[in-house]
Amino acid sequence: MTMSMTGPMTMPGAAETTPLLELRDLCLSFQRQEHVAVDRVSLKITAGRTLGLVGASGAGKSSIARAILGLLKPDSGEILFKGENINRMNPRQLKMARQRIQLVFQEPSASLSPRRTVEQTLLEPLQHFAIGSAHQQREKTLQSLQTVGLDQSALKRYPHQFSSGQQQRIAIARALVTSPELLIADEAVAALDVSIQAQILQLIQQLQRDFGITFLFISHDLAVIRQIADEVAVMYRGQVLEQSPADRFFSRPAHPYSRILLTFAGGGTPQNWTSDKWNLERNRNAGHRAAACVFAGFCPEKMTVCENTEPVLRYIQQADLHGQGPHCVKCHLYDEVESNEYRENEL
Amino acid sequence: MTAALRVKNLSVWIESRSGRIPVVDRISFSIKAGEATGLVGESGCGKTMTARAILGQLPVAGIGVSSDGIEVNGKDIYSLNARRRRALLGRDIAMIFQQPATALDPVFTIGQQIGAVYRRHFGGSQQNIRQTTLESLQSVGFSRAEDIAAAYPHQLSGGMRQLAMIAMATVCKPAVIVADEPTTALDSSSRALILQQLKHLQTLHQTAMLYISHDLSVVRQACRDVMVMYCGRIMETTDCQSLFTHARHPYSAGLLACIPQLGATRPAAISSIPGQVPGAADLPGGCHFAPRCSRAEARCRESVPVMTDEDGCGAACFRPL
Repeated sequence: MTMSMTGPMTMPGAAETTPLLELRDLCLSFQRQEHVAVDRVSLKITAGRTLGLVGASGAGKSSIARAILGLLKPDSGEILFKGENINRMNPRQLKMARQRIQLVFQEPSASLSPRRTVEQTLLEPLQHFAIGSAHQQREKTLQSLQTVGLDQSALKRYPHQFSSGQQQRIAIARALVTSPELLIADEAVAALDVSIQAQILQLIQQLQRDFGITFLFISHDLAVIRQIADEVAVMYRGQVLEQSPADRFFSRPAHPYSRILLTFAGGGTPQNWTSDKWNLERNRNAGHRAAACVFAGFCPEKMTVCENTEPVLRYIQQADLHGQGPHCVKCHLYDEVESNEYRENEL
Repeated sequence: MTAALRVKNLSVWIESRSGRIPVVDRISFSIKAGEATGLVGESGCGKTMTARAILGQLPVAGIGVSSDGIEVNGKDIYSLNARRRRALLGRDIAMIFQQPATALDPVFTIGQQIGAVYRRHFGGSQQNIRQTTLESLQSVGFSRAEDIAAAYPHQLSGGMRQLAMIAMATVCKPAVIVADEPTTALDSSSRALILQQLKHLQTLHQTAMLYISHDLSVVRQACRDVMVMYCGRIMETTDCQSLFTHARHPYSAGLLACIPQLGATRPAAISSIPGQVPGAADLPGGCHFAPRCSRAEARCRESVPVMTDEDGCGAACFRPL
């Protein structure tokens, strides 16, 4: 991952493979750029791995998911799927790419059509992309239903006849029928009971193991991210403040905001965290672009420099040869980290 | 000391052509003033039905209720007629709902809605009502209460709406508050804040709280005692600390194992309870949990285990852990 536009070749120490998905300096805004939802986000996901994207509600996580699917048009920046820019593809290429990227939503009851049987729901993507003969399509729907742990008897039934956990399995089965390489799960377990949540997480792990599917797993719940993510990226008001391999992130979170999130996730409350502060944070427009750190107003470790200079994303640990990604953080606390320094403005 | 809330032998059922389908099966419990108890279980266990029955929103067409009494501060509200009972709702016993977005009315300001609750029970001058409304908003942590009072629900974030809803539930300082999944729709920072504010109000007004949640980690943060419910029956009742250190019922242990853990090392495997909650219409005989239980033996499927009772703690299980 890099803040600059220079691509993988300039990444010191990184494995020289094209990532399955790469975002470069992605910017996205609403209402004539008044609300900046995504602010210069660069991310990479290696094939077969899971990136956990974390942040409070309104941080821009879902906007990124929508941009990757082409449902929102970015203001600037690039979305590369297997090295190809999604926004420059012709319709035929885009259709091909779409087959390979699928989405699972938060509310299964809202994302499944109540008027279609499970079979109709599962057949639709296959018919849309014209994959296989009618017979093959039927085989395929049954197969993906079995993959998620349901059987043939489910085919003729309607969504309301299933529990929410089963509905989410059906939504995952629908995403699987086109044999996607990338699955985006947008708060896919947030609406479920803890017991059902655990079952769906097990299923996701199994899909990754059996089919090598790459996941972009979006969640506000760090404990859930801990269960399945290989890498973690933390978003705040449209910006990525930290990205790190999961093990490193959970043992040594670098950004003050990440540490606050972890305190909350552990059931605690950070020091000096008052409801006034929290109200203020909620009220403020996500997209201000002042020459300051976005988190400066709420940062417990704020320095003078934080209020007048925007920090750059800096490597504090390089990628290693075992496929572990680099650890980068966008915070002035790490301005003095010289050993592994990587300055984007010198490039 | 009498309990602030006492529920005796409460049952709720659905009337169907083939007879009564039990949803809540003869449960009894009590909560003292200033204390919090959690009611935990998966969706479809009868938690919300319990809450609705306590608040007197049942019976409705097709759903029946019976009880030996639901007492708030020693006063039986179960036997009251609908009009009398309504006079108590909001004043003596209030509810916080899961979805503040749907529980609040979109066409009135927050201030109007909170004021309406207070006016209904205590009346008073416009000025007095407004003053109480603002105080109530301040008590849940809003420093600029005037702005919040003037806002419509859609102008607030999910967490702020939930705080406004808590202000509405506490404006008459009720003796009992039933909170049905109060933090489920919120992210972790909002969740921490809501639980913190509820705890603060609980101590301040000596409110008895009944928390209903599927998430044991919420109950752990908020409650001293906990009841684990499955298919309309209480499976285990104990204090939170003992539950987390030594759960006796296999179902409680299963729920605990599902809570995702934060840690420096990634957990090797995620554990879950196999299977799912059976529908109310096809409950298995004996212990309802037996088909999903790894410890079940023949007698578990044949007869219903009774709750053991040692100092208010106990598990309804033949083979407790």
